[in-house]
Amino acid sequence: MNIYFIGIILLFLSGFISAIFSQKNKLKVLSTLLAISTLFCLKPAVMVFLTGEKLSYALNFNPIFGEISFNIDYLSAFFIVVISIMSLLSIIYSNGYLKPYIEKGKNVSYHTMFLPVLIASMMLVVTTSNALAFLIFWEIMSLSSFFLVIFENEKKEVLQAGIKYLVFMHISVLFIIIAFAIASINASSYDFAAFVQVLKNNSQLANTVFLLAFIGFGTKAGFVPFHNWLPEAHPCAPSHVSAVMSGVMIKTGIYGILRILSMVEEPTKFASFLVLTIGVISALYGILYAIGQNDFKKMLAYSSIENIGIIGIGIGIGMLGLTYNMEILSILGFCGAILHILNHSIFKELMFLAAGSVYVKTHTRDMEVLGGLAKVMPKTAALFLTGSVAICALPPFNGFISEFLIYFAMVQGLKINDFFGLVAILLSISALALVGTMAILCFTKAYSIIFLGMPRSEIVEKINSDNTKVMTLPMGILAGFALLIGLFPQYAFKFVLNPASIILSHNLELNSQIFEIMQTISICFLGFILFTLLLLFIKAKLNKNVQSYTTWGCGYDRANNFMQYSASSYVSPFLSMLKPLFKKVFDIEKPKQLFPKKAHFSLHIDDIEEAYVINPLVKFDEWFLSKFEKMQSGNIQSYIKYGLIFLVVIIIGSLFIG
Amino acid sequence: MEIILNLLVILFVPFLMIGVIRKTKAFWGGRYGASIFQPLYDFVKLIKKDYVISKTTTKVFRLTPVIMLSSILFSSLFVPMIGSKTIINIPCGFLIFAYILGFSKFFSLISAMDTGSSFEGMGASREACFTTIVEPAFFMLLASIMALTGNYTFDSLTKIIEFSGSYGVLICIFAILVLFIMILTEGSRVPVDDPATHLELTMIHEVMILDNSASDLALISWSVAIKMMLLSSLIGAIIIPQDLSLGLSTLLYLLLMFIISIVIGTVESAMARIRMSHVFEFVFIMSSLALIVLSLVVARMFGG
Repeated sequence: MNIYFIGIILLFLSGFISAIFSQKNKLKVLSTLLAISTLFCLKPAVMVFLTGEKLSYALNFNPIFGEISFNIDYLSAFFIVVISIMSLLSIIYSNGYLKPYIEKGKNVSYHTMFLPVLIASMMLVVTTSNALAFLIFWEIMSLSSFFLVIFENEKKEVLQAGIKYLVFMHISVLFIIIAFAIASINASSYDFAAFVQVLKNNSQLANTVFLLAFIGFGTKAGFVPFHNWLPEAHPCAPSHVSAVMSGVMIKTGIYGILRILSMVEEPTKFASFLVLTIGVISALYGILYAIGQNDFKKMLAYSSIENIGIIGIGIGIGMLGLTYNMEILSILGFCGAILHILNHSIFKELMFLAAGSVYVKTHTRDMEVLGGLAKVMPKTAALFLTGSVAICALPPFNGFISEFLIYFAMVQGLKINDFFGLVAILLSISALALVGTMAILCFTKAYSIIFLGMPRSEIVEKINSDNTKVMTLPMGILAGFALLIGLFPQYAFKFVLNPASIILSHNLELNSQIFEIMQTISICFLGFILFTLLLLFIKAKLNKNVQSYTTWGCGYDRANNFMQYSASSYVSPFLSMLKPLFKKVFDIEKPKQLFPKKAHFSLHIDDIEEAYVINPLVKFDEWFLSKFEKMQSGNIQSYIKYGLIFLVVIIIGSLFIG
Repeated sequence: MEIILNLLVILFVPFLMIGVIRKTKAFWGGRYGASIFQPLYDFVKLIKKDYVISKTTTKVFRLTPVIMLSSILFSSLFVPMIGSKTIINIPCGFLIFAYILGFSKFFSLISAMDTGSSFEGMGASREACFTTIVEPAFFMLLASIMALTGNYTFDSLTKIIEFSGSYGVLICIFAILVLFIMILTEGSRVPVDDPATHLELTMIHEVMILDNSASDLALISWSVAIKMMLLSSLIGAIIIPQDLSLGLSTLLYLLLMFIISIVIGTVESAMARIRMSHVFEFVFIMSSLALIVLSLVVARMFGG
């Protein structure tokens, strides 16, 4: 366990150490230091998985905080593995991504300072077992990621997104503080072990704490309706930061939910159905808006909401299993959710890094002006395609496995002998199928508009080479992970079984039936790949002549770039089916006169929640607070007056109360 | 034995089904029509031809036909065919079936977009849109039937009658209707799509493969035909009784495929292709029918 703290301290220091070096070498130093420190942190996590023993450590901070204990059980170890691998890969990638910025003379010092702080704070969040310390680390995590988001702080919209993020994170932490406060008052201790004692015995208290914590952690994770910060903050951040944030950081919210669940004896029916419903809604809402976006990083951010929703469905099903005392349901549900956490961090990070590779070359996030990139950036295109297939949960990649587990859990849940339970599960199954097909629509659009067809503007024509190895290698590793988990799901299932056992608070035997199914799937997929390769080989052997010609245009062979299908037109039949669910903002300049010169059309899909809930709220807030503007007169005498009044009120108040 | 028979069926029956459909259409149109083996001849002819490939396309375009064929052949392992026997019978096998088909659809969509043609983009966009309606309804149907029978494989389709008591006939009819609309949509038949038209603007599936040629085209049309046959086999699993001798069940299976082809051909002759904006409404019928099955199942389980 000591080695873990050495790793954490090294992480905190590495930002300062790298600050000494020149702008050019800074990232190299940082990556090396991070590689060493994450290895240090990984070691205890791996030990937990190998030996199966929980590691604990207590630091004494008397008299302020008392004793703060750190525990690494299976759940923490799982998150440490995810955090360290994913952060390391994205830091390596940042060497290439930030290069153009550094060459332009941008100072990246504060960026390199906060990046390791974010990683260290995430590590601490998932290991600490003390509510106070947890909140402090949680705050450090939110703040450091805020500074990472506003990397391009000279742009106004970046700052706005950053501030929105900050506000949402503080609403989130408010609920977490209340939840922890209620628990700690009852337990008269800040230690999680004491929480467990209280919460296991008092189910009503447990329910309140769980619901409050669910709102708080759910905001961090991005569940609808608390998701609003996500599609703003992620596109603005540099790609490797969005990758860490979307791939790892929002999962700390899920960690919080799972940790509270492990303290609760049995969630109420209401809580289980609530989590399931919110999961389903988030998944549908996220993917629906992802389809509507033409900004590819915003699309990925919305797709994160979708995947968080799928994780939520898994957790909800697992909780239903606890409520109805059906263990197989909880095992499958929680295993599916936990595996999907891992899977999502793999393919979402891959997608964000690939999107960043496109952004670095084109300096635009608008799909509508791209196209034909696969010819100039073949590696990035292949990696983006791999990520897209995996994220649509299509076999033989990893996304399928976790969704299979969740589906399997739901199908097992059909045994529930309860009207609402049965109907809820039947509808969730078809909702998950709907999410899957919508994901196909969303990512075929993204891939084909960005990478296929003809270039839609001169931006693409200027590009002449793919990105360097520093950027493609981390993506390649992630794609490899995605394929490996898809091809050998039985080991992935074994891997996530232990973290799931923490939530159920007892050891789980390896369910041989599920293991065998996973083995069959593994053999099937291997066979599938071999068979496809065989067919390709046969086709290559046929060896026919190939003539190249322009695309068939009904006899018209002067088709130009603008006649292609665009991103908006590709999704238009689908979106017109679901008109009331979003606010369409058109930006049209119609062609005028006999010889029209300029015309354009663009379509943006605005978030319905933002348009009809958040914005009116903010407007009300502005109006309300403007009433107090007079108080801020800039006159020092009046400020002294306020201070005096405050003091008098305090003194008089304490006289009465004391 | 069933495996070999199934393989033979996959090799030849899809072509024959297309042949029978065309023959039926010719019959209703008062024509003599081509031989029912014509699709097979076309296939062989196409295999022998040389390619014409668009300059705009990338590797995806050349890979897709192979991926489509291999994934659809692979998915056939999970579908009950002759004697309602599935080659790989694992719980939730239907998920692998549906998602492998999704894999092939993913590639067929991006391959259409790969040509940069607006026609093919239009086709892909519509095809993707229909999938979003079809797939959830299919899952809803299967999940309801699984809840009813307590069996988590495609076998549950064979047990509807056994478990649903007096509701049996109703559930069967609605289930068959759902599957039939799915066949029409996924197999791109009238009234959703018109495989015979030459007007690119009205087509869906046919327009997606405008630029495919030679063996690429052959593989794609074969795989679409196989897909249609696999979905028809699901109807077979509902209708054809189990525990028959191998010969009898083979015969019944082939007879059913024949009947379904004739029905599809008749529907195509009797109906015009629906206007594009109304096609969605037609496909949505499938969702509502699946909802009816769901409510029937719930009524059966909780209402007695």
